[in-house]
Amino acid sequence: MITHHPADSLLLKHAAGAAHEAVSLIVATHLALCPACRRVVKLAEHAGGILLENLTPEPLTTGAWEHLAARLDEAEAAAPSIVARSGGTPTIPEPLRSYLGADGLDKIRWNFVLPGLAFRPLLPGPFSAKLVRSKPGSSIGLHTHKGEEFSVVLAGGYSDCSGQYRRGDFHTATPDLLHRPVADQGEDCIVLAVTEAPLAFRNPPIGLIASLIGY
Amino acid sequence: MSVTASTIKPAQRPLYGPAIVSGQPRLPVILWFVPIPDLHDMTSLLFAVGKSRDRAAFETLFLYFAPRVKAYLLRRGVAAMAAEDLAQEALLNVWNKAHLFDPKRGSAASWIFTVARNLHIDAVRRQKHPDFDPNDPALIPEQEPEADAGLQRMDDDERLRKALESLPPGERNILELSYFAEKPHSAIARELRLPLGTVKSRMRAAMRRIREGLLK
Ligand SMILES: [Zn+2]
Repeated sequence: MITHHPADSLLLKHAAGAAHEAVSLIVATHLALCPACRRVVKLAEHAGGILLENLTPEPLTTGAWEHLAARLDEAEAAAPSIVARSGGTPTIPEPLRSYLGADGLDKIRWNFVLPGLAFRPLLPGPFSAKLVRSKPGSSIGLHTHKGEEFSVVLAGGYSDCSGQYRRGDFHTATPDLLHRPVADQGEDCIVLAVTEAPLAFRNPPIGLIASLIGY
Repeated sequence: MSVTASTIKPAQRPLYGPAIVSGQPRLPVILWFVPIPDLHDMTSLLFAVGKSRDRAAFETLFLYFAPRVKAYLLRRGVAAMAAEDLAQEALLNVWNKAHLFDPKRGSAASWIFTVARNLHIDAVRRQKHPDFDPNDPALIPEQEPEADAGLQRMDDDERLRKALESLPPGERNILELSYFAEKPHSAIARELRLPLGTVKSRMRAAMRRIREGLLK
C-alpha cells in the first residue's frame, strides 16, 4: 500500500514536459506502481490537450498537407512495443528497467560506498539519478541536501524521522530536511534516488568518501 | 461506424477569446456560443487512422491539429521555420503511432499533446521523456475496471474544460506557463515579478481545483 506520493506540482511538471529527464524518470517509475497518481497525470495530460486546442492556430505554409501526404506511404509503421516476459514479473518496472540496460537487477555492477551500502549511477547531473542498495539496518548517515532529493523504493524499505517508506513510496526531501534514513530489517533496500545537488553529510569522513567516489 | 472527413466540422470553443480558424477571417463573436470542439469526433477520427490508416480522417486531424501544434512549439521557443518542420514531424508521428492510441485512455487532443510534447523534448532538448508502459507486467493495475471509461471520459472532458475556464487568471496564467513556457518555476517567478512561493502555491491551487472538479 503506497502512502507517500509526489506533490501535484511534480506530477504536473512531468505531464507538461517541464521536468528534467531524471525527474521524469523517477516520477514515471512511481506511476508504474501507483494507479492513483496515474489518474492525476492523465488528467494533467488531458488539460494539456484542452490548452493545445485553445491555442490560436498558427497557419502552416501553403501546401503543408500535400507535402506531408506525400510522405505517408514511405513512413514505416512503428514497431510494436516489445514486452520482456521471461521469468515472471520483474521487480523493476518501466521506464526504469530500460535504463538498467540488459543488466537487470541481478547483474548490476555496484559501486561500494560504506559497509552495507552500494550505488549504481544512471544519469549524470544537474539532476542525477542512481540506484542505491542498503543492507538491512544500514544507513548512509545523517545528512541534509543542497537541493531537492527524490527517492522511490523498489524493494525492501527504510525509515527516517519523516516516516516509513516501502515499495512504490515516493519521498521528497527538501534542502532543510536533516535525516538519517535506515534500511528496514528483512530484504535489501533498493531505492532510485534523484538529487539536484550532492548531499551534505554531517560526518566529514563520510562526506569525503562520498565525494571521492561520486556518490 | 465509419467516420469520414466530410461529416466532421472541427468547431472551436476558445477559452480566452474568439479563435481564428486557420486561413479564414476572424469570425464574429457568435462563435463564443458554439459548444464544442467535437472531441468525440476527433477521437473517432484518430481511432479510424489507427485502425485502417484512413487518410481522409487523417487530413481532417492534420488541418485541425497541425496549426495548433505549430503554435505550441512557437510558444516553447522554437523558431518559426523549425516549428513548421517539427509540427509536420509531430503529425507524421501521429500517423505512424495511431495504432497505439487507445480511446479508453484519453482524447485525441490529449494524446496528440503528448506526441508533440515528447517530440519537442527529444528534438529540441535532446533528452527523453521517460514514461510508464501500460503493457508492462510490472505495472500495478487499476483496481476498478474501466468499463465505462469512454463515457466517463466525455463527461470528464466537459468538467475539466469548465474547471480550466473557472480558474482565476493568476492561476490559469501559471498553469499555462508550465505547459508552454518550459522554464523553471524560478524563471517564471522572475518574469512575472512574483515570489517563487506564490508561483508554486498558485500551481498547487490550480491542480487542486482541477483534481477536485474531477476526482472527488
Ligand atoms: Zn502516487
